[in-house]
Amino acid sequence: MTDKIDIKNVAKLAALNLTTEEENKLEKDLSMIIDHFAALSEMNLPDEKISIHPLGTPLNLADDEAIIFLSHEEALSNAPESSDGQFVVPPSLD
Amino acid sequence: METHVELKTNSKMFCRCNVVETDKPNENLCPTCLGLPGSLPVPNKRAIEFITLLALSTKCQITTDGMFHRKNYFYPDLPKNYQISQFDLPVGTEGSLEIVVNGEFSTVEIERVHMEEDTGKSTHIGSGRIDSATSTHLDFNRAGIPLVEVVTKPLIKSSKEAVSYIEELRQLVIDLDISEGKLEKGNLRFDANISVAYENDDELGTKVEIKNMNSLRSLEKAIEYEISRQTKMLNNNETIIQETRHWDEKKEVTSSMRSKEGSADYRYFSDPDIPNMILSEDFIDKIKNNMPVLPSEKRNTFINSGLSIEEANSIGKSPKWMGELYKSVSDITNDSKTTFNWITGELQGQLRKLGETSPPEWMTAEQLAEIISLVKNDKISFTSGKEILAELIEEKINPEEYAISNKLIQENDTEEISKMVKEIIKENSEVLERIANGEEKLIGFLVGQVIKLSNGKVNPSVAKELLLKEIK
Repeated sequence: MTDKIDIKNVAKLAALNLTTEEENKLEKDLSMIIDHFAALSEMNLPDEKISIHPLGTPLNLADDEAIIFLSHEEALSNAPESSDGQFVVPPSLD
Repeated sequence: METHVELKTNSKMFCRCNVVETDKPNENLCPTCLGLPGSLPVPNKRAIEFITLLALSTKCQITTDGMFHRKNYFYPDLPKNYQISQFDLPVGTEGSLEIVVNGEFSTVEIERVHMEEDTGKSTHIGSGRIDSATSTHLDFNRAGIPLVEVVTKPLIKSSKEAVSYIEELRQLVIDLDISEGKLEKGNLRFDANISVAYENDDELGTKVEIKNMNSLRSLEKAIEYEISRQTKMLNNNETIIQETRHWDEKKEVTSSMRSKEGSADYRYFSDPDIPNMILSEDFIDKIKNNMPVLPSEKRNTFINSGLSIEEANSIGKSPKWMGELYKSVSDITNDSKTTFNWITGELQGQLRKLGETSPPEWMTAEQLAEIISLVKNDKISFTSGKEILAELIEEKINPEEYAISNKLIQENDTEEISKMVKEIIKENSEVLERIANGEEKLIGFLVGQVIKLSNGKVNPSVAKELLLKEIK
């Protein structure tokens, strides 16, 4: 069994507002997932190459050529609010 | 030191949007850099070449089997809610960079060199203070521009060393031609992690990160302020907390911004959209074989030409034309120091006064070498040399011809000068008496009289020598 998950901190980092009920349910679910993965460390796999990426395909790199994809108007067309050509969001501070 | 270097590519890191300077916000956007669902990031080949070049030139080990990670955090200027970055498999690790501090060589150890993307720009709208803003405006032109982060090991010991390191890194990215390297444009942005410990402590103290330093001057000031703040706290037995602090340029103090997130809070995980980044031997060799001259190599060439470490370092970090002109001119004059002084002192000074950043295109190394030689061989005075240089900046002239036609050639014929000296002595018996009574300064006056008599053509040192001979 893993250490208790700090579900409040996880929710805060993910910017989620959870009810107490949701917190309890997710805490249980996440613990189960982590326990499931913890089982891997108990396996004896000394000669196995560690798979660190889900894709086995080689990486394609794109040529450094600029293209115009969206016009300024298109880019802003779905913004709930815009002003002076910029997206407007509620005040946020670093 | 953590330094972000904005790369000089045509297109963004994971999409093909234009990377250009523009006053118009949100002009260079696509679904990928806007973080729209269904878009697929594809890394920019040139950016990967550039970071490999930087990692190789800082003597890093190259991770041939690397990958991209997602660094998750919520902030409006980050449209995907994560930044594509690198975590445990950066392109370069364990490198070093030679720097010059106070005229001596030093080495900065580099921990990692990794690839990531820039964020957008936010402007907080509202009256007065930033924390009473009523809305935030976002421009995503910058979002997705390739950034390389270079992180040093915590071994830098002074503000001077930190500044020299940034100067060296800046010159390196300019010479590698991978970034504009302009601090004022934000091509190079740095944060400093500072900790203070007792002299006998084996462990480093708690680190505090300083942000918002946008010039080398503010970097130096901020580090010095922070060292003194933390030292005072230690001496008062106060606990230093790990945090991020903001450098206030006007007040010249740092102030607490927020408590620092731990790496775990960013919930790094490998980006499932981007396959592993395998850098083949071929790819790396090709970059190695096309490596330009590095600032350290350039510096060594200058040192070998006869300059001190400090001089070599300073000319290596000057505009390109200066180093090139120095090399060509000193090859002709065979006098490194004098050539260095003429170029970095007189020539640069005169250009600056005129508001010019480089010499006129007609100015050749031969012309400049000729002026230097005329002065060095006492054919003209230093003042005349400066005059000819000023003329040469104005228009294409032949220095020696100019000196002759403007009667700047000094009289070095001792017989001629002797005649004039005798004449002056005859006319100034009173002055001679005063010199005999100890007013030796008046010799200068007599030298001046000889020069005047010759219409400025006499070499002052020869005149002085002959005068002294006559008097004694």
